[in-house]
Amino acid sequence: MFNSKNFLFFIAVFIETIFNANGDLFNEELFIKPLPPAHLYTYFQFTTLVNDNLSSEHTYLAPRSLVEVLTRFQVDELHFTLTEGQWRHNHWGYPVLDAAPGAELYAWFSSDVENVDTQWKKLSSTLAGLFCASLNFIEDFNTITPQMALQPTGAIPQNPNITSQLRYASLPREIVCTENLTPWKKLLPCESSRGLSALLNSRMIHNTNYHSIGVHTRKVCSSSDCSVVSLEIKQTVALVYDSKIIRTTDWSFTKLFGQGLPGGCPLASSSKVYVDITTNDTQPFLLSPEPEKVLLSQRGGSETKLALYTIKPENKMTTIGAKYISKKDLVLMKLPPLYFNRYVLGYGKEFGGIVTELTNTFWSSIDVVVLQNAPWWLPIQLSSLRINGEASSEMVLARHYSPGRSRQKPYHLELLLRLPPKSTTKITIDFEFVFLKWQEYPPDANHGFYVGSAIITANLPTARNYTSLPGTASLFESSINASKPWYPAVFRTNGVMVSLPTPDFSMPYNVICLACTVVALAFGPLHNICTKELVLKVVGSSVTLKQKIINLFKKKKE
Amino acid sequence: MGSENNISNADESNRMWASASFVGVLIIIGMPLWWKTTEVYRVSLPYEKISSFKPLSHFVTTELKVLANDDATASKIVSEIQKAFAESDIIKIKIEKTVMSERQQHILRSVVDMEKAVEELASTLDLDQENIFHVVQKKSLSHNIWVGNERIMFFDDEKASETIVKALDGWIYQTSVLRGARSDTPDQARSTRFPPESAYHITLSIVHPRPDTMQVVWNAAEAVEDYIGSFVDELSSLHNFTLKSQWLHLLDFEFQAREIKEASEWGRHFAVRQDRLSLLLTRLEERAATHVSELSTINLALYIVPCDKAPIIIYDNEGRKNPLSIQAFMSPKWGGVVIASPPAEQCSQQVREFEPSVGQVMGAFVSHLRELLGITKKDAIEGAHLEPLRSVSPRRWEVDALLRIRTLEQVTSAERTLQSLAQLLEEISNIVINDEVGASIAAAVSELEAGAGEGAGADAARAGRAHAHAQRAFTHPSLLALLYFPDDQKYAIYIPLFLPIMFPVVLSLRILLLWFMGKPVHKEKTD
Repeated sequence: MFNSKNFLFFIAVFIETIFNANGDLFNEELFIKPLPPAHLYTYFQFTTLVNDNLSSEHTYLAPRSLVEVLTRFQVDELHFTLTEGQWRHNHWGYPVLDAAPGAELYAWFSSDVENVDTQWKKLSSTLAGLFCASLNFIEDFNTITPQMALQPTGAIPQNPNITSQLRYASLPREIVCTENLTPWKKLLPCESSRGLSALLNSRMIHNTNYHSIGVHTRKVCSSSDCSVVSLEIKQTVALVYDSKIIRTTDWSFTKLFGQGLPGGCPLASSSKVYVDITTNDTQPFLLSPEPEKVLLSQRGGSETKLALYTIKPENKMTTIGAKYISKKDLVLMKLPPLYFNRYVLGYGKEFGGIVTELTNTFWSSIDVVVLQNAPWWLPIQLSSLRINGEASSEMVLARHYSPGRSRQKPYHLELLLRLPPKSTTKITIDFEFVFLKWQEYPPDANHGFYVGSAIITANLPTARNYTSLPGTASLFESSINASKPWYPAVFRTNGVMVSLPTPDFSMPYNVICLACTVVALAFGPLHNICTKELVLKVVGSSVTLKQKIINLFKKKKE
Repeated sequence: MGSENNISNADESNRMWASASFVGVLIIIGMPLWWKTTEVYRVSLPYEKISSFKPLSHFVTTELKVLANDDATASKIVSEIQKAFAESDIIKIKIEKTVMSERQQHILRSVVDMEKAVEELASTLDLDQENIFHVVQKKSLSHNIWVGNERIMFFDDEKASETIVKALDGWIYQTSVLRGARSDTPDQARSTRFPPESAYHITLSIVHPRPDTMQVVWNAAEAVEDYIGSFVDELSSLHNFTLKSQWLHLLDFEFQAREIKEASEWGRHFAVRQDRLSLLLTRLEERAATHVSELSTINLALYIVPCDKAPIIIYDNEGRKNPLSIQAFMSPKWGGVVIASPPAEQCSQQVREFEPSVGQVMGAFVSHLRELLGITKKDAIEGAHLEPLRSVSPRRWEVDALLRIRTLEQVTSAERTLQSLAQLLEEISNIVINDEVGASIAAAVSELEAGAGEGAGADAARAGRAHAHAQRAFTHPSLLALLYFPDDQKYAIYIPLFLPIMFPVVLSLRILLLWFMGKPVHKEKTD
């Protein structure tokens, strides 16, 4: 069983680069890809390579705050994303880096770390402060240790037990806002004053269909035998613009970002803009200004044409734009080799089910790992797992299930599947609804409860719709002509929402009021009966009201 | 009639016992139970011990050795010093007088160079011992007294006694600073130096606003390790230090400088008002990421002025020009900033490369650090010669003085912290004191009781521990757990239930008491 997982292991490799005097290298890249008919994908990537192995105390281009956090908690590799919106794989193809909706954090700790859970808690709280995100809500009950789905992408000493140093958590409810973008920008050497990061105007980038900011750090080899490693910090922003929001299919920097580009970052070794012009054949458009160069990238049987612009620091304000010549109404999208969908089944407030549908459109089988992560309040039972309606399936090559525990541990299921060619596979698992304690309900509980995305790790046999970098490369340019036998990818499905039985929250107050009234009403007569003497009084002639009042005065006189 | 009476008596006693059982359940069992279950958890604390602390009564002890050529001079000097410090309630000096041996006298006579004399003398005296200072007679000095880097002071003859006392008071023991460390209101030195802590981070930020127009050659790591490292190594007995450096690019600050023409290579300089500089700190704080450190950070910033705004010269609030060649300023309890302007010939070149003088810049930072860590400036004393510092390391006796100041400060601050905590607990009833905080308080009290504050040296560690425990107790987040659940809310929940129930029960108390005392419970009704 173990051997079959082996194909997922990434091989540690090295990068040969010429380092400048201060050791650090900074590169900024922007990749723009039209997603016909109506969307536009822009992906920013800022890569800092720290080559100072002497100490982590002294930084040049790398952000000291982040380096200090990584050193203090002995983190080998860290991935952190904040995302709003869903990436639609079947319409848009694959992004360079996929991210789960909300906040997602996973990290490998150094093998010297003994108590990974405490370090993990401290790390997430510190990052919460650094990025103004609610990562402090990461607790044991929403943290899992994936066994097969996630593998380190950097150079980490071969360790058969590497997953024990890994922790993963996602907070699908987290809302991404300007307050997260500002601390993120401060990690860049040029901040937002110069270079491509000047385009990240929070007013414009939150006005998109999908936006995701991320920080990814890992160790990369800096010598051929990998005895020396250096730190790579990659900051990314992915945006998907909707032509309906920007009100035109033509695009330009001014339309997308609200301003032109004020020259490259003077500290960057290179500032490059790539525009994917493959769709120009079907949807012709004109780029202005003319690209410096058009690159043809042949990768795994698919051809991509990229227009390249090199931005110089001394450049004046530049703006790159595209104008569509004629608009053809019908666009046929080539479906990606693998896409998926996830939804919730069931009615009522007792039982339900989650369905994950995986579609393989390729002519050969694809091996995937599917990781499902359900919070403790959504108990999923392995016995109810059905693949295409069958309890036992030959598609399942390996399986890992760890049951959750109420308020302590989430449910975690991983499946290694071999998807047959040209097929759709339906994974169904049932859950039951749980009553929470009244303090455990989040604000606006009737909104529903988010269930984190499933992670799908695949080795794609073709690079169709694939834009990711090769596992070992740092820069986007290394994805040009990078043909490989297979293309590793980690995807996230869409998240789902369930509505748990939600009580009326004014109930406890009503109960207190009612109970107090009833007790007070009942207690008076009870006390009277027990402690007072009942004396019979002779019923005399009927007393008039006047007589009663006189009697009252008489008594007083006595 | 008799049996009827008996029945009514039995009835009455039944009723009374029923009433008594209501009282028993509600008042005797119910109320204390309610009180106990809604009580704020508090470990019992040694309030009496805490209130018996007298922060103003602490003093430090130190030793002084007077060595003279003859007994008469020694006695004269000793008596003068004793007289001067007899009244002092802040420092107790144990003075020991010795007549120098023939060999020592020979060394002092024959070696003219002061430093060399100290070196030679060190073989006969133990100068390495902390908190022991030597006053040694050396004939034919150019001044009345001479003070160098070691724990030793030379004086000429007995006429110098007045200067000796002044130098001991102002330089060596710094009684005014000690008093400031102990008093309620901080003095100048205390409001400048960082509050005592076991460890600090020192971060050097090189601010380079225009990396595109000029290259700055500066090895930050090396400069920090060489200069700051060797300075703080000498203070390692007091604090642990972590040295860091970072570059902040493209952080531009508008100095609002006034251009002033002058006859120099530049033909101008830019005048910056001192009060404008504090805004630079705000700008630095945005990017310097000091909040990431778990310890307090001493900030050092080197601001590289772009060519078109160079050179910058700081003017004080009265409009006087900074006379020094280096433009630097210090912000109390924050750190120091050096503003480095590139020279004119560099700016006129095509490829601009600026290398700020490491010695000059780091020298300024070290002098900032001295004050930020508590080594005060030494005012000149007439007739006394203070050997200027030749390296970055502090003088040995300065470290001793700092140790005394820190000890006294930590002891008094620990006591004050505990007293304020006790006072707070008295005033605000819903502060929780859990076991951990209780243990911290107890530890601090026991450390303080065990004789911290009697002097420097051995007790410095104890004072540090007491201070750390007291601080931990005072700033523990668990204290605030119930702060926002005040008493009136507690009553608001229970009163709707308790009031209607307690009303008849309390009213029945009078009748119950009368009955127990054997008095007639109620008057016989007349009709």
